[in-house]
Amino acid sequence: MTNFIIRRLIQSFVLLFFISILIYVILNIVPGGPFDQLRFSNPRVTQTHIDRLNAMLDLDKPLFPGQYCPMVNGVQQPCRFDQGRYVRWLVKVFRFDFGDSWTMQVGTPVLTLIWRRLGYTVLLMGLSTVLAILLAVPIGIYSAVKQYSIADYVATTLAFFGQSMPTFWTGLMAISIFAVALGWLPTGGVRESGAEGDIIEALMRVLTFGRLYPELAGQEGKFILDGLRHVALPVLVLTYFNMAAWVRYTRSSMLEVLRQDYMRTARAKGLRERVVILKHGLRNALIPLITYLALILPGLFAGAIITESIFSWPGMGRMQIDAITNVDWAVVQGLLVIQALLIIFSNLLADVLYAVVDPRIQYS
Amino acid sequence: MSATSITTEALKLEPVATEKPIGQWGLAWRRLRRHKLAMIGLVMLALIVFGSLTAEWIAPYGFETQDLDRTYAPLFAPGAPGRPMHLLGTDSLGRDVASRLLYAGRISLSVALTVTVLTIITGTLIGAVSGAFGGWVDMVGMRLTDVMLTLPQLPLLLIMSSSLRQFAQLQKFLGSNLSVAIIIFVLVVFGWMTVARLVRGSVLSLRGLDYIAASRALGASESRIILQHLVPNSLAPIIVAATLGFGDVIIQESALSFLGFGIMPPVPTWGNMLNAARGAPLEYLFTQTLSPGFCIFITVLAVNFIGDGLRDALDPRLKL
Repeated sequence: MTNFIIRRLIQSFVLLFFISILIYVILNIVPGGPFDQLRFSNPRVTQTHIDRLNAMLDLDKPLFPGQYCPMVNGVQQPCRFDQGRYVRWLVKVFRFDFGDSWTMQVGTPVLTLIWRRLGYTVLLMGLSTVLAILLAVPIGIYSAVKQYSIADYVATTLAFFGQSMPTFWTGLMAISIFAVALGWLPTGGVRESGAEGDIIEALMRVLTFGRLYPELAGQEGKFILDGLRHVALPVLVLTYFNMAAWVRYTRSSMLEVLRQDYMRTARAKGLRERVVILKHGLRNALIPLITYLALILPGLFAGAIITESIFSWPGMGRMQIDAITNVDWAVVQGLLVIQALLIIFSNLLADVLYAVVDPRIQYS
Repeated sequence: MSATSITTEALKLEPVATEKPIGQWGLAWRRLRRHKLAMIGLVMLALIVFGSLTAEWIAPYGFETQDLDRTYAPLFAPGAPGRPMHLLGTDSLGRDVASRLLYAGRISLSVALTVTVLTIITGTLIGAVSGAFGGWVDMVGMRLTDVMLTLPQLPLLLIMSSSLRQFAQLQKFLGSNLSVAIIIFVLVVFGWMTVARLVRGSVLSLRGLDYIAASRALGASESRIILQHLVPNSLAPIIVAATLGFGDVIIQESALSFLGFGIMPPVPTWGNMLNAARGAPLEYLFTQTLSPGFCIFITVLAVNFIGDGLRDALDPRLKL
């Protein structure tokens, strides 16, 4: 097992290296940097201005190690060797420094931007994932145990629907029904306009026993309730979408277990059906679900791009879209590399957990 | 039961065997026909395809015909005097939503079909080459697959489709079809991995099987082995993956168009119609959103039903 983990860690490291090159190349081979649009919006901006801005961001240097022949005020300078932007960036990434934002908030470290948004995404994704699993696993089990009953057909059909409804549709429909027509919930955002705090700040204050956000004293409950009202619709949309997959996983895993020999043995021993299903069936059916559980991790960080942008939720998903439209590659690179890291890590975690829970699995 | 009764039983059954034998695909079709949901899906998809193909004849309006007196008309709104009814209302520019949906279906479906076909071709090539050659070719192919599977998909799709638009030569070459071509390209680039893994896996596993060795021992030629055994046996999972992939492509294309990174107006797609609906005043949001989204939903649902049926029909070993 230890050998397996070590080998996989080394492989992951190599994989991550290639991924970082690929991400860097995809982002940087595009003609026109982040300041190209400046020229259209402001005709007084000249090429010299843009060159100077590019030089500030190191964008005049070559991508990979090679010759660098700078032009200063139109005069060709002697060429010299440059290690390239990629290498410089990679060295900084090893120290967990993703550089500063280019255009979104010029000069702010990418990690600071991430910290500001992460709470909102973890809240949204966490709530919807936990709710989806809590609802879907019992439904999936029931539907497998009562296979071909009406309840089973309803559950599988609803799961099919959930997988076929894109979140950008269910999201807009949820807004037009629950926010516009019925007026029960807000259409988007995290807080009432003019509120001086929001749910994340209030939660941070509670979690740090009042050390952070002292100005919110006594109002935590109000802000948390208001935040829950705002998060309700996006959570509803994501929960339904995630539930569909979880119902299907649970159902098929349970069906697989139900026809095993040890189930028949348990019944033959004279155990009550409840005990057979819950103790012998369920515990084995949950094993494959652990894999899916580990694969949630990247989503907790990356957020839901579409849902967050429909509901103007200021999380990581919205940040990705904003960074892409603003050509803020410093932010995008950071986000993508961290996401890839988490995807690799959660894949490894899933494999290891699987072996830990199921003694039949052995890696050599 | 005595031995004689068994023999008579066997004799009774004999005439059945003289019937025209049913091949693997005939059996699969029989099983598929028994699958109720798959049949419902096939009918639904056939209607959608028929509607989009005949848009010119059955759509009451053109997709760009404007009626500026009737913007954001509700469902079943009457048209201008002497013109047909706006069955599903009109949009912000007074264009008939029902007609636009039919034309949009044409784009969405043909993009999805093109992407699926190209995905199968690319995936099969990479997978087959990896599996057949082995060694370092296999290593490179599979590591590439790993890398592509590990990359976060949606953000990179967004980045690539917005970046490729910057290339001036492409713009000159493709003109107004640029956004369609870009979307097809990026969806294929990020879509071939599943098929490649399936093909490689089946090439590797089938090569070593006894019945392949047996048919070789019986003197079957290499091409006969490939055509009679390797292809039919590795086709089933590819067909299932491609069918389910078709639904995913429809969702991805409309998601990109919805976010404004996909196919650009005036070419209508279900996704960019939803994007336009998002800008509608809130009181019109429901009518504007309902029908384009429903089209995506019903198409994907139909494809998923068919895919599920195909999986049961083609691979009886794989239950669910």
